[in-house]
Amino acid sequence: MHNTLTRIQNVFGFFTSVAFAVAAAIALSVVLSSQTPSASLELRNVQVVKGRPHYYSTKREEYAHVKFDLDADLSTLFNWNTKQIFAYITASYPSTTPSTIPASEAIIWDAIIPADNAPWHQNTYIHPSSKADVKAKKPAKRGSKSKKDTTKPYPAGAQPGILKLSSQKPKYQITDISGRIAERSNATLTLHWNVQPYVGALVWDSKRSIGRWQGLKGGESKFEFPPLKGTEGVKKEDLKVEAGGERNRGKPA
Amino acid sequence: MDALLDQARLIWEGEIDFKGQRLVEYLTYALLTLTGLIAFFIGLSTQDIYRTLYIGLGGTALTFLIAVPPWPFYNSNPLAWLPAKTAPRGMGSGVDRAQLQGISIEVDGKKIS
Repeated sequence: MHNTLTRIQNVFGFFTSVAFAVAAAIALSVVLSSQTPSASLELRNVQVVKGRPHYYSTKREEYAHVKFDLDADLSTLFNWNTKQIFAYITASYPSTTPSTIPASEAIIWDAIIPADNAPWHQNTYIHPSSKADVKAKKPAKRGSKSKKDTTKPYPAGAQPGILKLSSQKPKYQITDISGRIAERSNATLTLHWNVQPYVGALVWDSKRSIGRWQGLKGGESKFEFPPLKGTEGVKKEDLKVEAGGERNRGKPA
Repeated sequence: MDALLDQARLIWEGEIDFKGQRLVEYLTYALLTLTGLIAFFIGLSTQDIYRTLYIGLGGTALTFLIAVPPWPFYNSNPLAWLPAKTAPRGMGSGVDRAQLQGISIEVDGKKIS
């Protein structure tokens, strides 16, 4: 501590210790905030059609288009240390030989839901506004304020973590590794999430309650994949390209 | 020129006395610990992590400002050095030989003055 350089080193060295201790305290403090996530997830419609994975592909595969209704309240997952939540819906179905091959799980839709104070990013989710809202807002579209309202990751007047999706189209069309997904039974749609904090550990969804964190209520529904929709007469070249929603990030896919 | 360089060296090194060193060490630990505690609890009570960040950084900047420069109060107890034994050569009137009378310096039990 006798000269300037030593003092700079000492102050900075102790600052790093304090910063680490505060970060650890923040990471641990999230167990104090109570969480009561709930969701209702319903299958709206599922269709299985033939398609090709990309334009030049000679493969013909069966793709399932799963439309769903989601009414989720994940707002309690946002505490002071939550930066964003990655919410996703999977369709899982058992394999044809369950004794040897495990069940398959595929993501049909996902969204990055940022906290209100998180920095803006182009990949974050924009919640679609309901039809009534859009109609009501159209006359007042000239102002820039209404535009700001419609670029939020939650419906107008709500808070982060609220999702009200009705007849939502999937972001990704799914297929099986065998190329056949029609008439599979015992499939399940499930809502999952991953909480990404500013500092600390990533936390995934859980059905069990731990301490003040309650498990997810609902957010699951059973369904069956229907038979293939008639595309037998369609020529191979006329089949639709089943590209996923990777290219329209942020937008309501 | 030498005097100028000495001045520059003094400013650059910014040395403080022994009591000042103890004081600056206490101040550093106290201020930074307090900053961390205040930042955490204010952030927790207002549920705003950015507040924690900015209070922490602000308190650290303040600590740097207080602890790093050689403020005069760190040099308020200068050590009383013994006078030089002989006047340096070429300086003409240095320390008088008479001033050394009555001072005994022992090194390893041997009297050297």
